[in-house]
Amino acid sequence: MRAFNAELSKLFSLPGIWLAFLIGAFAPAVFTALDSIAEKEEIIAGVSTRLSEVGYIGLSFGVQGVIILGVLAVSSEYLTESSESGGGQQITTSLTVVPSRLHFLLAKAGAVTVISILLCIVAIMTTVSATHLILGEYAPAFEWSRLIGAVCYWTFTALLAFGITVLTKNGIIPLAVLMINSSVVSFSVLLSKITKLAFYLPDRAGLDMFMFTSDKFHTPSTGGLVMFAWVAVFFIVAAIVFHRRDVAS
Amino acid sequence: MLTINNLVKHRGTQEILSGISFKARPGRVTGFLGPNGAGKSSTLRILLGLDRATSGSALINGKRFAELHHPLATIGAALDGFGAHRMRTGRAHLRWIARAAGLSRSRVEEVLEIVGLTNAAGKRFGNYSLGMGRRLGMAAALLGDPKILVLDEPVNGLDPQGIRWIRTFLRERAASGNTVLLSSHLMGELAETVDDVVIINRGKIVADGTLEEVIGNHSTLEEAFFALTSENAGDVI
Repeated sequence: MRAFNAELSKLFSLPGIWLAFLIGAFAPAVFTALDSIAEKEEIIAGVSTRLSEVGYIGLSFGVQGVIILGVLAVSSEYLTESSESGGGQQITTSLTVVPSRLHFLLAKAGAVTVISILLCIVAIMTTVSATHLILGEYAPAFEWSRLIGAVCYWTFTALLAFGITVLTKNGIIPLAVLMINSSVVSFSVLLSKITKLAFYLPDRAGLDMFMFTSDKFHTPSTGGLVMFAWVAVFFIVAAIVFHRRDVAS
Repeated sequence: MLTINNLVKHRGTQEILSGISFKARPGRVTGFLGPNGAGKSSTLRILLGLDRATSGSALINGKRFAELHHPLATIGAALDGFGAHRMRTGRAHLRWIARAAGLSRSRVEEVLEIVGLTNAAGKRFGNYSLGMGRRLGMAAALLGDPKILVLDEPVNGLDPQGIRWIRTFLRERAASGNTVLLSSHLMGELAETVDDVVIINRGKIVADGTLEEVIGNHSTLEEAFFALTSENAGDVI
């Protein structure tokens, strides 16, 4: 529990994390507001085909915030100090304070999980408010099951980012790949045009927890399970590598 | 008491430590000397559980680092590089460490006071000078008020007052029965501070004893150091 508290304390005292909070908490609402304005006329006329996506598409985009969170939580440990000051890394301090590496990793993953859940709840509140503000009585009703799906999607994505960064020890590659994948071009969506196996990739499967689009492949619970399996595999591999790795290597 | 017993470390095909053994005893300041790349930092990292030994052991009061229940209250370490994130303030850095070790916030202020960093505690670590970074590292090592201190190049980058302060401070710690192990390549400085000397060269211990024993017939510690380390280096060229 102490290690978990320390991880929370580390995250909150890192300026980069506030960017993650800002994006996570408000980007979905802004995105949803713009989308709602664009769709407003069709929704009022009752001809919109995208009513079921309103809000959720913003939430699928806002996952960027927790990607930053998951990556930074790990990459900040490996950020190298200037060579003048000895080129040290925070990880040396972390592991002399919490000697058990598994314990350390679990505490950190726990902190990332808790913050992701809270951040997604805030995002849901701002997003739902945005739709009500713009669409008024035409705003779609949000179902609890789908919103919980969105929370799971955010948390799993954060943990995937976390696990990948433990392996790379550097934030730039996972940050670039995951952020591009969740905003500009989704590799798994492209791949799914070619092979059905792409529906089993973590982001594509995870989206089925709350994005009820026409090309939906899994039920929400299978989608969630598939994504969770990816998270578990990455976490176990990361834990094994982290356990065996010399800090100096 | 720190006990290094037949420690071997391979990295790839390279042998970094070839079976080194020595002790650092309570009530004494032990100097760990060697040229750059001799294996000092590797030894200290294995002692602190950061790197794995290929074979042999490095024990703290008879236990491996990972087996310590309260690591921070048992052994305080300041390694080369300070292990702090450059965007965090000095105070925030010490606070998360205190939190992980179950220590109070007031203890953070105490150690900041001890190392003379109270006024700079609100500045980001990235803006610290080398000397300030060194003091922050010392503060972190002292948080749990440990009986054992392990310091890698503690006087590097310190101003004359800082050096004098470290020296007096370490002498006081040892005088009250604590164990102090410090690595350095500053010979003159070390001779003023240590009781025992361990010299490492190319992953092997080449001298181990009290300061007087190691100096032996040489005029200074520096003379003894060069005699001992260049003898071993002689087989290369």
